[in-house]
Amino acid sequence: MSESCPLEKIDDYRWRIPKSYKPGMRVPGIIYADEKLLKDIRQDKALEQVANVAFLPGIVKASLAMPDIHWGYGPSIGAVFATDPENGGVITPAGVGFDINCGVRLLRTDLKYEDIKDKIKDLVYALFSDVPSGVGSKGDIRVSAKEEKEILVKGAKWAVEKGFGTQDDLDCTEENGAMQGADPQAVSERAYERGKAQSGTLGSGNHFLEVQVIDQLYDADICDALNLNLGQITMMIHSGSRGLGYQVCEDYTRSMVHCLQKYNINVPDRQLACAPVNSNEGKAYLAAMKCAANYAWANRQCLMHLTRLTFERIFGAAWQKLGMSLIYDVAHNIAKIEKHSVGGKERDLCVHRKGATRALPAGHSDLPRRYKNIGQPVIIPGDMGRNSYLLVGQPGAEETFFSCCHGAGRLKSRAAALRSINADTLLKELVSQGIIVKASGRDTIVEEAPEVYKNVNDVVSVVDNAGIAKRACRMRPLGVIKG
Amino acid sequence: MSRPQVRLLHGPLNSKILLPASKQYSIFHINTCVKNKPYEIFDHTADIGIRVKGKDLKELFKNAGLALFQISSRKQFTKNKKHTVITIKQKAENLEELFINWLNELLSLSAAKGLIFYNIKINKLEENSLEALCMASDIGNYKVHTEIKAATYHELKIEEIKEGWQVEVILDV
Repeated sequence: MSESCPLEKIDDYRWRIPKSYKPGMRVPGIIYADEKLLKDIRQDKALEQVANVAFLPGIVKASLAMPDIHWGYGPSIGAVFATDPENGGVITPAGVGFDINCGVRLLRTDLKYEDIKDKIKDLVYALFSDVPSGVGSKGDIRVSAKEEKEILVKGAKWAVEKGFGTQDDLDCTEENGAMQGADPQAVSERAYERGKAQSGTLGSGNHFLEVQVIDQLYDADICDALNLNLGQITMMIHSGSRGLGYQVCEDYTRSMVHCLQKYNINVPDRQLACAPVNSNEGKAYLAAMKCAANYAWANRQCLMHLTRLTFERIFGAAWQKLGMSLIYDVAHNIAKIEKHSVGGKERDLCVHRKGATRALPAGHSDLPRRYKNIGQPVIIPGDMGRNSYLLVGQPGAEETFFSCCHGAGRLKSRAAALRSINADTLLKELVSQGIIVKASGRDTIVEEAPEVYKNVNDVVSVVDNAGIAKRACRMRPLGVIKG
Repeated sequence: MSRPQVRLLHGPLNSKILLPASKQYSIFHINTCVKNKPYEIFDHTADIGIRVKGKDLKELFKNAGLALFQISSRKQFTKNKKHTVITIKQKAENLEELFINWLNELLSLSAAKGLIFYNIKINKLEENSLEALCMASDIGNYKVHTEIKAATYHELKIEEIKEGWQVEVILDV
């Protein structure tokens, strides 16, 4: 595994893989973790992947890994790295992942635990029935071929124009729910076909809807600004770009494998297939990736709309009356051209976040006005048995290209979970903790059991102590709908 | 964008039944202990690793292709008796690329056309090209419990062993 990878301690929360570890590394690796998390991180090959990313042409400063880092393909999950297009910097589909703009959004409500405690089961079953989920699930939101292309350009705005939300929702979505420069022509027919009829569907695997209650406040002022308090009910939605995104990644990985030779790029893992950001191949991928990202934002907007309708049905009041406004929506699998300061100079960099969340501090020019004073909300889902967190970006995130962790991070493989965990026992345990779970398949419940994840409390503690993002409040799950 | 050539012999969803049910491959569930399975699953933190064997390269490609569907789905119904036969042609610069493109083409077709592949006949296999006849049934006849997004190059290993050929490949799930 990664036992042999040299690690130099920078401080209690930062560790360096020296550039000298592998010939070909252009920058060092930096891992954000404490000693406890590091013990688990060394158990798989994630650290080797951090070193592999450091080979990419044009990489700036360091190959970074957040505390939820674990073994993936190409870069690890929890990877953050930036390349400079003006210095031969590359873009790699593996630095985004197959589920382009997989992300998470958090809604507040005016409801308190007391208001829903006798209705949690009804609510979970209603959400499971109203929101299509599972492998290859298809939704009731049907669109024409022309409209599909419109979704890829307009993103969440398309959904709002259809009546599935408000302008306020767009203001509280990263990139306002649509990246500029999306080109539907860069998306293959197969990708359209693979994503067809999947708007407004949750998908499967680790995607979920979760009914939560706020059980701890860490910063009362920030919570006041967000209109959040103890005992308040929140809803979290985790989904991505479904089949369309997978196919975009596959199409461009297929073509970029040939770019390695064409542009004389040396990487230790062919899954790191890449092309210069400014090459035709690089530009085409970015234009297609933006389409998939916009599709995902439209999808999460539709999922939120369906969720609001279900709440209206169960609680007999309009969602506006229930105070169901969006706190924020963040992408955690994405590449973006962003302005960052390198060596005192502002540069346009291609920032890859694969299993990592953007985290802008207070005062940043890209923040919506309402969050200018507190910083960008950073949403960190945990596992279905423990907690999730809401944080806000801090100035210290400048060293991570304003990036933070994206979740708890897996600890155990799905196969290991299936070997060792019994679904009935697990469900009983969760019920005894007051958590109702409804899933399309029993395997999903086992594969997503709390024990297969790191403790999110440990992960969040690292980013807080490292000055990247600050804890605002913590939620615990009451009801979980898994795909 | 141009795609590798895929020829549908009888149209994706309206083809005639070409094989009797008895000739179909059994679909085994991930938890089921099945003797002589041509693949095994190895641990990977986020995804699934599979190790597949075959007496020759043709059988290796066939077994790996079928393994994708054997580990992700289980036959439960016979809602739709129609069967589809698809010819897949792939070209690549080397064997590894050919292998990854082959698996990804099967996954992509399965998701786009709503099909589960249950039998494969590799008609031609060279280091940089492949032609296969792939038999599929409607996805509605199956309970699909795991979504395999793609096959990856990460730690891909295709090697000749005493009994023939073996591959290790990591699948994104």
